Amino acid sequence: MNGPPAVRLQDVSFRYPGGAAGVFDIGLEIAPGELVVCIGPSGCGKTTLLRLIAGFLRVDAGRVELGGRDVTAATVRSRECGVVFQSYALFPHMSVRANVAYPLRVRKVEVGARERRAEAMLELVDLAGFGDRLPGELSGGQQQRVALARALVFEPRALLLDEPLSALDAATRLTMRDEIRRIQKRQNIASLLITHDQDEALSLADRVAVLRDGRLVQVATPQEIYDHPADAFVANFVGRANLIDGEVVAGDAVDTPIGRLAVPARSQPPGTRVRLLVRPERILPQPAAGGENVFAAAVVHDRFFGANREIELAVGRGSLKVETTVRGEITHVHVPRDAVQFLSPP
Amino acid sequence: MIPRWITIAYLAYLAAPIVLLFVGSFGDLWLNTLLPTGATVRWYAEVAADPSFRRAFSASLFVAVMTCAACVAIGLPLGYAVFRARSARVRALARMLYQLPVALPPLVLAFGFILVFSSDALPWLGSVWLLIAGHIVLGLPYFLQTVVSDMQRLGLRTLEDAAESLGSSGLQRFLHVVLPALRHSVLSGLIVVAALSIGEFQFSNLVSGFLNRTYPVVLLQAFYGATGFACAATVILLALALTASVTGALSARGTARFATARAGR
Repeated sequence: MNGPPAVRLQDVSFRYPGGAAGVFDIGLEIAPGELVVCIGPSGCGKTTLLRLIAGFLRVDAGRVELGGRDVTAATVRSRECGVVFQSYALFPHMSVRANVAYPLRVRKVEVGARERRAEAMLELVDLAGFGDRLPGELSGGQQQRVALARALVFEPRALLLDEPLSALDAATRLTMRDEIRRIQKRQNIASLLITHDQDEALSLADRVAVLRDGRLVQVATPQEIYDHPADAFVANFVGRANLIDGEVVAGDAVDTPIGRLAVPARSQPPGTRVRLLVRPERILPQPAAGGENVFAAAVVHDRFFGANREIELAVGRGSLKVETTVRGEITHVHVPRDAVQFLSPP
Repeated sequence: MIPRWITIAYLAYLAAPIVLLFVGSFGDLWLNTLLPTGATVRWYAEVAADPSFRRAFSASLFVAVMTCAACVAIGLPLGYAVFRARSARVRALARMLYQLPVALPPLVLAFGFILVFSSDALPWLGSVWLLIAGHIVLGLPYFLQTVVSDMQRLGLRTLEDAAESLGSSGLQRFLHVVLPALRHSVLSGLIVVAALSIGEFQFSNLVSGFLNRTYPVVLLQAFYGATGFACAATVILLALALTASVTGALSARGTARFATARAGR
């Protein structure tokens, strides 16, 4: 990678006065052109993180850099981050064009030039011809496009999106998700997107940052996060997961509530307590007993989603979640040895 | 069916006195009959010719306009400060405080004013400015209520955050975002304040000086004279209140537009 990261947080901590909430020891870098999605349950500090980068909040400790420049003590204005808010925050009394041109207006760009640039931005977000409307006359998705255009028109150092899709209906959300991705790539701008939606995180991100109780648990590519979650929390939060506690009986076998599981070999003394992860779609229904890791199963819950089924099975003294395209009755399941992975207990 | 009749009955009950005032103000003679006899406009001519009514008319307009101006000048920054207060407890307390005058009978306020301002130290009783000061106390709660709730409804805080992140300075945010976004609620707040000021009697009757009595105070005398005269004078008060509301509204709009235009290009 050439040049400094567009955004760099170094050991950043912030605590809300009079409370325990905040973010702690955050280290995060966003490369130029990279889209990092920060995901976590509500109250985990996602938005706080965004506000610390934008400058609405000042860090208690640590360092914030934008484009290699230390902005830890800089004002919101001088940080020049484009921020997109969940509620869009369009100025209700200004036309769409005036909204988009506003950052240029306060930068004293001459009228003709700023209207041209606003118009070009509106074109980029597919809203050419909407310039004279008022924000109130647009749909939620369109308003969010205007907000995006306004946040990008002044060529900010970074784009920060605070749950930009959560106020939209399901269909618009999918379209806007692709739109954000397209525009972000087109502008090639370092971006941080906040969400609590795992689909959004996995499908949008170059890298996903999982935040829990104000701490970063894991920062990795979507695939890495899904396939090799750092712990049980990440496994459960991103994707569906079977978390199985058990006790090692040999190098490649673990006793669990669902039965004795053959697992990838690992040198652990017998008696060690371990936690295993098996993704539901890795478990295979099987017509009859016989073979390694095949267990008799009884259906507890069966939800049909068209393309696939999500089934909850009672297996031994435990239970398993299974995702499958198999339509018929399910009596046995096979847990492939290589589908089992060890997790560090939370 | 029944709700509809109740609605009609209530509307009739509301409208009857006003309609009767109108009828009475154009009636020639009205004695012990349900409706007056004969038609005339002489009552209006008499009110218009009456020097004390003329003076009261302009005094009332002046007081209303000044009260409105002061409500914007005091209420907007005050409301903004309450809205932006960091602690929820401070916000609740401030809200309680500025709502207090609503519960205060104007009569009590007037006695207080008389006690304080008839002293040698503050001998201002009878001045029109004191009257305006009182009207501000009575009108400001309604203005603040309207404006502060609009700030919350608009999500003014996020709008300002957005403006700030886009590079807007504090003054620019106020001129470009806060003021124009609030223009509607400032407008409707002022309509209430103007109507209140024009119609206010209890306080004005006790505190206004002889030369700056407001219209309602002078109107009281009319009730001892001819019915038609009293009706005409009252109809004029009604018109005055409407005019003040509209003027207040228009001038606030003009101010907001002026501010936006100046802040603009």
